[in-house]
Amino acid sequence: MLGLNENAPAFELPSALNGRVSMMRLTDVRSEWIVLFFYPRDFSFVCPTEVTGFHRSLAEFEAEDCSVLGISVDSVESHMSWAHELGGIGYPLLSDEGGTLARAFGVLDEREHVAQRASFILRKDRAVAYAMVSPVNVGRSVNETLRVLRALRTGRLCPAEWMPGMDFGPAGLKF
Amino acid sequence: MAIDPSEKRRLFERLSNVREVVFGMQDGVLTTAGVLCGLSGAVSDHTQVVLAALASTAAGALSMGVGAYLGTNAESDVLGAEIGRARREAEEHPYVLQENLLEALAKEGLSRDAAYRVVKLISTSPRSLISTAEEKIYGIGGGVMGNPLADGVVMGVAFVVGALVPLLPYFFIANGRTGLAAALGATALALGRALHDDCDECGGGRLSHRPGDLAARGNRGLAAPCIDTPRSPHSSRITIRCAKFRPLRSPWKIGICLPRWKNCWQSCGLRSASH
Repeated sequence: MLGLNENAPAFELPSALNGRVSMMRLTDVRSEWIVLFFYPRDFSFVCPTEVTGFHRSLAEFEAEDCSVLGISVDSVESHMSWAHELGGIGYPLLSDEGGTLARAFGVLDEREHVAQRASFILRKDRAVAYAMVSPVNVGRSVNETLRVLRALRTGRLCPAEWMPGMDFGPAGLKF
Repeated sequence: MAIDPSEKRRLFERLSNVREVVFGMQDGVLTTAGVLCGLSGAVSDHTQVVLAALASTAAGALSMGVGAYLGTNAESDVLGAEIGRARREAEEHPYVLQENLLEALAKEGLSRDAAYRVVKLISTSPRSLISTAEEKIYGIGGGVMGNPLADGVVMGVAFVVGALVPLLPYFFIANGRTGLAAALGATALALGRALHDDCDECGGGRLSHRPGDLAARGNRGLAAPCIDTPRSPHSSRITIRCAKFRPLRSPWKIGICLPRWKNCWQSCGLRSASH
């Protein structure tokens, strides 16, 4: 799995957004932060809670100058159908059919050939600022991802359970 | 006319007793024939041999019946415990159950999106979700739970009926050797007829089946019994015959071709199907 401060691999993958298919590169994303989350499969029963969870909180992510990208090994046609099934998803779903990107991030389950339930927050220089992987049967918390993103944006030392509005450590303090 | 589904279900449940019938009868015929053979050589009194054979039949029927009862009872207990565990899992982790059911349906040929919609629909009723999951994921359902008492009774009665086959000729023919010969003849005929019918049913004789029958048979978990030879490239039917054994021409024409029966018995998978 890609570690902290390692550069995210460049990619160019077909993506589905608003009923349209287009090729998307990492360099196409202009926002300062990127939340890139891998999920195992379209048309499953844990993934939609995450996919729709990120969709519901999309405005909050955008308010933090952050783009959200969902990635799985399903085809882009499957993404289109899946997004339609879920009532529309406001961020791109990328199709990593060969599992190349998931493998590059070190989160491809080679036996099942599906991506693990992994999330990465990328900084402006597209290095990994945060990485986590959840067991396949346990969905991630969108709020936690948002909390970590906000904490990262402070650039300060944030204690456990830190939430926006709470005190944080002085600038320059590392540990 | 369409068959009423509930009637069909009852039919399947009755058919589940075929195992007990076949097993009980076969055991009754052979055990009693063996007892008659042994006793008629050792005891000269015809009545004593008959009484001993009757006692053996009663003991055998009781033993087989109780054995079937206990076996089915134990099987039901184990299956019941497993079903209970699966239900608890379903209540605690419904997502996991849904995912597993989706995978099972997808493996059966449904597209993933169609399977998703089916599972989502089924999930609107937790009871339907659990019962479908039990059948699709674990391969267990209400139908496989046998009735211990019925199985025991059927097995015991089948044993007695089987025992009557060698016993009746021996009972009515007072001459020891002639009676024994008649009993063994009846045994051979009964076994031969039963096995020969099985053989024909599965194609052990020469039957025409539509292509795909064999594949369907394979899908039901039965051993592929026969080789298939296309009759003509334009024919939709194929001729199948026993793969290993040719029918043995018996000079007595009473169907005593045991190797062929054995082959059909084994290769047609009737044992695995019925036991």
